[in-house]
Amino acid sequence: MKISIGRLLCGTVLASAALIGGATACELKVGVPAVLSGPAAQWGIALRGAMEFAAKEAMEEKRIVINGVPCTVSVMPIDTKYTAEGAASAMNAFAAANIKVIVGPVGSPEVTGMKPVAKRNRMVAMVNSFAKNSIGPEWPTVFHIGPGPSGWAGPIIDEGLKRFKFKSVAIVAPNDQGGTDIASVNAQIFKAKGVAPTEEYYQRGTTNFAPIVTRMLAAKPDAIDLASSPAGDAGIIVKQLRQAGFNGPIFRLGGPGTEEIARVAGGYDVLKDFLWFEPIAMDDNTRALEKKYEKLMGAPRPENADFFRWVFAARMTLKAIQAAQSIDDAEKISAAMRKLPVEDEHIGKGHWIGQKFFGINQEMSYPFAIGIIEGGKQQPYKRADAVKEG
Amino acid sequence: MKELPASERAPFFGTYEKVTLGLLLLAFAVPFLTRNPQILSQSNLILIAATAALGVYIMLRMDLMSFAVPAFMAVGGYTVAMLGIRSGVTDVFALAAAAFLVSALCAVPLGWMILRLKGVYFVLVTFVLTEICQLLLFEAGPLTGGSNGLVGMPSVTVFGYEMYDNSHVLMITAGLAFVGFLIAAVLTRALRYEFAAIEKNDVLAESLGLACWKYKALAFSVAAGVSGLAGFALVNMLLTAHPTSFSPLSSVNYITYAIVGGKGSILGTLIGAAILVSATEFFALRGELSPGLYGLLIIVMTLVAPGGIMGLAENFFRRFGKRDSKALETKVAVQSGSGHS
Amino acid sequence: MEGLIATGLIGISLGSQYALLALGFTLIFGILGVVNFAHGGFYVMGGYVAYFCAAIIGLPYPLAVLVAVASTAALGWLFEVFILERVINDHQATLMVTMGFYLVIATAILVIFGAESPQFDFPLQGVWRAGAIYIPYANMVVLGVCLAAIVGVYWLVYRTNVGRSMRAMAEDRPVASALGMRTKMLFPFAFSLATGLAGLTGALVTPILALAPHVGDPVLAFSFLTVILGGLGSVSGATLAAFLVGLIEAYAAVYFGGSKGALILFVLVLVILVLRPQGLLGKEARRA
Repeated sequence: MKISIGRLLCGTVLASAALIGGATACELKVGVPAVLSGPAAQWGIALRGAMEFAAKEAMEEKRIVINGVPCTVSVMPIDTKYTAEGAASAMNAFAAANIKVIVGPVGSPEVTGMKPVAKRNRMVAMVNSFAKNSIGPEWPTVFHIGPGPSGWAGPIIDEGLKRFKFKSVAIVAPNDQGGTDIASVNAQIFKAKGVAPTEEYYQRGTTNFAPIVTRMLAAKPDAIDLASSPAGDAGIIVKQLRQAGFNGPIFRLGGPGTEEIARVAGGYDVLKDFLWFEPIAMDDNTRALEKKYEKLMGAPRPENADFFRWVFAARMTLKAIQAAQSIDDAEKISAAMRKLPVEDEHIGKGHWIGQKFFGINQEMSYPFAIGIIEGGKQQPYKRADAVKEG
Repeated sequence: MKELPASERAPFFGTYEKVTLGLLLLAFAVPFLTRNPQILSQSNLILIAATAALGVYIMLRMDLMSFAVPAFMAVGGYTVAMLGIRSGVTDVFALAAAAFLVSALCAVPLGWMILRLKGVYFVLVTFVLTEICQLLLFEAGPLTGGSNGLVGMPSVTVFGYEMYDNSHVLMITAGLAFVGFLIAAVLTRALRYEFAAIEKNDVLAESLGLACWKYKALAFSVAAGVSGLAGFALVNMLLTAHPTSFSPLSSVNYITYAIVGGKGSILGTLIGAAILVSATEFFALRGELSPGLYGLLIIVMTLVAPGGIMGLAENFFRRFGKRDSKALETKVAVQSGSGHS
Repeated sequence: MEGLIATGLIGISLGSQYALLALGFTLIFGILGVVNFAHGGFYVMGGYVAYFCAAIIGLPYPLAVLVAVASTAALGWLFEVFILERVINDHQATLMVTMGFYLVIATAILVIFGAESPQFDFPLQGVWRAGAIYIPYANMVVLGVCLAAIVGVYWLVYRTNVGRSMRAMAEDRPVASALGMRTKMLFPFAFSLATGLAGLTGALVTPILALAPHVGDPVLAFSFLTVILGGLGSVSGATLAAFLVGLIEAYAAVYFGGSKGALILFVLVLVILVLRPQGLLGKEARRA
């Protein structure tokens, strides 16, 4: 009798041990299609840095716990070279590795190339790109990390009108999708505010913008908008505008990169009167985020300010995974995502928008900042609330 | 030109052609052997790259280096996208014929303009052509979708059956690649003596009575048509005709595939594409270093194997085959056309 | 009228930059028969070396420029001797190795200096104005250096023994070496002279425009275009073509806009080449 009870006990202990040991470890893998070479490399590097940070944070703080088991979070970055087929083949590589969660890519051609593959392989994705069709009802599992100019150009132009006088504006952007989509949206918003716009497009690869500047100034605009021209190009344009004698205010209603523009142009005094979209209002909270990155990763954060937007996006994605209790069911994760409040512990609160502009309410909108340089001196950032639909 | 007596002529399709076509037929089997999306995607990219590199190979048979392949790929790709989106044409045979013919026809007036140029002039003019093509795609906004391209092409159909997922896409690409290689093989083998004469010294060939312009024009049109097929395959894979897919910089890639593979034989084009596309995918995992690693690979391969990989293989077999028979050597030399190494 | 003059001045500034680039390119092409796909790489390297010396080490700008020239010339010499020389007779192979080398240089710069543009200012700021007509002082300096370089290269190639030897080698290498010219010295010398010129251009022009790892990308296309348009191996042809291209680009962009302007430029080049394949000042459609 004793022996059989002993044996029963041993058997039970052994069986439980086997069950516990056999409980599958939870491995969340996130695919990051990012442009890591060429002129857009800094954006991809910011994306990769943000995701790697969010992943490490999630692991250390055990933020992803599925069915009682804490998950490891690993990141697989692939260089997409800013082309549609680069993004498509990166997505196929993720599909082969059974990765269903994607954070990225950055640019419009890449988003165009990756969406069909994401749909075919039932993946959930958080994408950037200011293209007019970056998300839509045909792609219910694709989310947008933040509004484009359709969201935030208005408040920035208002701020500009408060400080400077201008009735006309010349908008300049490169002649590809990343340029035309944004410039045309900006033009519409300027017009709605009573400022007459003209649009100038330049060939990608132009190095000397003196002819373009001459052409822009022929229309005698009161203000200039650099739209989404890459920082290097924008810097040369500003430098040559000032050399040509233009003294009006300059807007940058496009992505971040003002420090780089200033470096190329030759300093803040060359920028003189300059307004731009800053993805983040730097305050104690966001500085705490920078310190956390440095502590966790052992290096200062990637310089490009898109880093903050990607951290927001990465954390929201992880929160949705946690809420859906699934690491690979795209529909469940998407459903959970739609119900999540748009908020981040360091960056602030916002809400979902996009129904009017894209036809699907899957764009995150959160507080941002308006960067202002007046008379060559940087002013404190003006915090702006999360934009509502419009 | 007098034909050699039937007993002495090399067979119509040489060993290389047979091997190449055989490998392409094997590509059809890949979707049945695996469901792995990466293998499917990689094979797809390799086949598209090889077909595009064919456009370079055909012109290289006459020692003309063409940078115009992306331009004709764009013609083929956009034609297919427009037919699919605007006219609802989805039958793969109709689309393939359209991609080939429209590109080949566009090549006729262009060829008339530029084929009298040689050497580095030809290179530059074809490069300028591709740049012009990109700009036209942007300027002709309403027709081509401008910088956004034409998005949302419907899936192609084969006899009414819709080909929509990864393995189907690969089969379409394999089919297009096979057709492209078949056409290229037929052309280069049927006219191998004429091409070889033009490649060696076209002025001399002309003085001996060869109407060079006819062969150059034919080759240029066929190369354009084959590039059009490659463009179709690319647009089909992405379901979008986007200008960034046809950038002038990609012409350098296609030229690299043809040369590193070995410009002396059609098999070289396929091998070169397979190895270099795989290398690019592999390097992409290393982020910022990828272009540099690719550049190093090119340098090393060119130094080690000036005749391309096929040239290296030929030398290898020649050294080992020397003990066996002289006949094998002659056979290999004749079949590789101009005997370049 | 003022607009026309202002645009013309811009065209001349552009032309001087293209001429400096084309000089090196046409030297390599004319004498070695090599299309140097790495030309842009030496350009951007010249920019970064000058930036490093001037902004990080703190050398005075002219000295930084000299260091840039020396370093690009040295790298060009090494590349020619160890890599290019082995494949010099195979045109397609030279294309491959130079292209590969460009990728290596561009990636190395990206890894060492990062993707973002650093601050690299031309020491002479300020603009000369007369009404609506203006030209920055920096552009005038570049124009001056360009003209000096053109004169220097022309003198070297056409009036010195070294130059004569290089031209002889370009015509017929076996005969030239049979006559005692040391091709093993002259080829690397020609190549490093050209890459040094590219480095000089980079050191001078990137502070006026922008410095970033990718600014070498468009250099090849424009150099190639200019050299062919001017006629292969012709220094005066390349110079003429460079200024012509600069002027066409300026007027087309100002009056037709960025992308239409580029289209006009390329179509014009195409037409000129089709009608006159030997280029503006070339002698025959030399087979490469």
